[in-house]
Amino acid sequence: MSTLHVLSHSPFSDQRLSSCLRLMGHDDAILLSGDAVYALAPGSEPWASLSSAGVAVFALAEDARARALPGNPAVELLDYPGFVELTLAYDKVNSWL
Amino acid sequence: MAKSMLIISRQAPWAGPAAREALDIALAGGAYDLPVSMLFLDDGVYQLADAQAPDAVQQKNLAANLQALPLFGVDELFVCAASLARRGLSHAALALAAQTQTDEQLRELLPRFDLVVTL
Repeated sequence: MSTLHVLSHSPFSDQRLSSCLRLMGHDDAILLSGDAVYALAPGSEPWASLSSAGVAVFALAEDARARALPGNPAVELLDYPGFVELTLAYDKVNSWL
Repeated sequence: MAKSMLIISRQAPWAGPAAREALDIALAGGAYDLPVSMLFLDDGVYQLADAQAPDAVQQKNLAANLQALPLFGVDELFVCAASLARRGLSHAALALAAQTQTDEQLRELLPRFDLVVTL
C-alpha cells in the first residue's frame, strides 16, 4: 500500500514534516504545497532531513516559484493537473491538515 | 464492505477546535458502524494526559468524548511512543487505554487502513 503524503504548512512552524518522515513507508512519497515548499530551501534544516530521507519528493511549481525557491534535480515540480495525476499513482493520499 | 479509516490526531486539546473535531469525526463514524481507529501523535498525545482542568481556560473537558470512543465502536486507539517520550509523558499516566506504538510499528500500522487523515 503506497501513500502520497500532502503537506501544506511551513516546516518551521511545527512537527508535520518530521513526523511524516518518521512514519513513511518505502513506497510512499511527499508532495509539498503552499508554505510547505519552504522545505526545499537549500542549506535549510528541513531540506537536510528531506534529502537524506531517501523518499520521492514532489512540489507544486507555482508555490515554489512564488516563494523564489530554486529548482532542484531531486524534486519534481508539478502543476495542478500533474498533482491530480500523481494522486492516482498511489493507493491513498494522507493530507496532513 | 466499508472502508477502514485511521484518524491521526496531532493537535493539543485546548488551543483550538482541532482535537475536539477529530474526536467528533471518530465518534460519528463509530456511530454508523464504520471501522474507525485513532492515532494520537505529536501534541495530540496531550489530549490523553490525566487530571487536566480545562474549565480553568473556559473549555469543556474532552474526557467524556475520549471515554465514549470504545462505546461507539472505536476500539483501536493508538498512541505514538516517541511523542509521549519527548513530552515526558508515561503510558501509565494516560487517562485512556491506548496501545503505544514505536515508529517502526506505526510504519506497519498505517498501510493497514484504506483511508488515513491527519488533523
